[in-house]
Amino acid sequence: MIEFEGVAKMYEGHREALSDVNFRLAPGEMAFLTGQSGAGKSTLLRLILGLEKSSSGIVRVAGSDLSTLSGEKLARYRRRVGVVFQDPNLEYDLSVYDNIALPLRISGFSESEIPKRVKAALSRVDLSDQANASPRFLSGGQQQRVGIARAIVHRPALLVADEPTGNLDPELSARVMRMFTQFQQLGVTILVATHERAVVDSLPFRRLVIEKGRLVSDGMGPR
Amino acid sequence: MNRWLLDHSQAIKDAWKRTADRLTQFMVLVCLLGILLAIPGWLAQIWLSMSSLVPEEAVQSEAIVFLNKELDVEARIELERVLAEMEEIEQVIFVPKTIALRELSAQDGLGPITELQANNPLPDALRLKFSIRALKVIEDNILTTLLADKRVLSLRYYPSTRVRYASLVEKLGLLGIGLSGLAVLGVLMAVFLVAAADVVDDQRRIELYTLLGASKRFIRRPYLYRAIWLGILSGFIACLVITSLNELFSNLLNSNLKALDPSLEYLPVDDRTLIGVAIVALLASWIGAERAVSQRLKALD
Repeated sequence: MIEFEGVAKMYEGHREALSDVNFRLAPGEMAFLTGQSGAGKSTLLRLILGLEKSSSGIVRVAGSDLSTLSGEKLARYRRRVGVVFQDPNLEYDLSVYDNIALPLRISGFSESEIPKRVKAALSRVDLSDQANASPRFLSGGQQQRVGIARAIVHRPALLVADEPTGNLDPELSARVMRMFTQFQQLGVTILVATHERAVVDSLPFRRLVIEKGRLVSDGMGPR
Repeated sequence: MNRWLLDHSQAIKDAWKRTADRLTQFMVLVCLLGILLAIPGWLAQIWLSMSSLVPEEAVQSEAIVFLNKELDVEARIELERVLAEMEEIEQVIFVPKTIALRELSAQDGLGPITELQANNPLPDALRLKFSIRALKVIEDNILTTLLADKRVLSLRYYPSTRVRYASLVEKLGLLGIGLSGLAVLGVLMAVFLVAAADVVDDQRRIELYTLLGASKRFIRRPYLYRAIWLGILSGFIACLVITSLNELFSNLLNSNLKALDPSLEYLPVDDRTLIGVAIVALLASWIGAERAVSQRLKALD
């Protein structure tokens, strides 16, 4: 699903954010991307989302070389990816329902299809009773679940999460991770960037450890 | 087609929501742009209504060209033909000396001078009516050429008010065009700056939409719909201001209008002005917003 071949990313001023990164993530696989703050996790995710282009090497997702995509093609690619942020990044002037419906409206789903999908996504994150609420009146955990519902509502083949449990207490973090595990069982490829050792150690998934822009470890179990 | 409809209805909803969120700002902008656009519209209105009200002699110069007495018919016809073919001359009328004498007699109140008919001292003449667009310098050139022509005895020139005050009219015209240009530029700039500020305000939302797979066209559409509404409403306000000013001036000039034409109640409003103002409003708003949004989105990349 995701392939990194000798990927490097240099920013202006010759600061090297990523250097010779190689890995593959199979379809339906779930993996953690761990490392200290500033190690290069977010840069790697930005490359997968097509927000940055690699300085060298190839980033391939579902067979497409992302460096060749631009404009409408890149937008179409992003519609097949779900994204979860540390800050759920919700629109506070829209209801929970409309926030979750956003990717569907952007993708051009019909108005008859949208309610079914939003209802299903809300039920997956246990927020069926909050559809008409404003996100500003929800707790941090509930907001994060709205963000997750928005990321999965269009049934993406790939889900990318950047520190999804960063603002949550351990109990809520475990709940969010359980949701990711369920999505993975449904065949979604998931890459979760986190620096929380407890979260990573609690689940038996592959982990990619990145340090100073280099992939230093790639394997199962605790480091 | 279905996707197109969905995208546009979504953009209209978004645009409406954003407009409703900032309704006061939007309405102030509509009024401001309407007043700005009324300036060129009102100037055009003055120009067009004046040209329909002002008497012909104020805009069209005339000249009476007295022909040499010995001039044969062929030479006279040839001169008439050459003059008639000139673009700057709208009309050439041959005035035979018999008619000239009769008119002169009637004008001077001397009664019929029948005894002079047999020995008419007047020459034949050509009456030239210059075109409404003829410039002063061209009229002067034609007159100089005619004076140098052996077929011409002398001439009398009656310059129009427009030609007599040519330099002043020219300055006023340039001032009007400059002012109109500035007003339209002002509209463009105002829409540009407001749209650019909106995009900066919405930066977080735009980044989110981009991540969710929205294309640039999708992101740009609501701003352009807002600009279209802005153009329509400000064009409407501008037309309202122009017709109101027209009404006001018509009341002020009522007695003068009646003197010009008893049936004239109001200064005529030219439809071309209103249509022109509406089109300029729509185009200026659209271009201003399109440029601003494209530039800001490019900068966000």
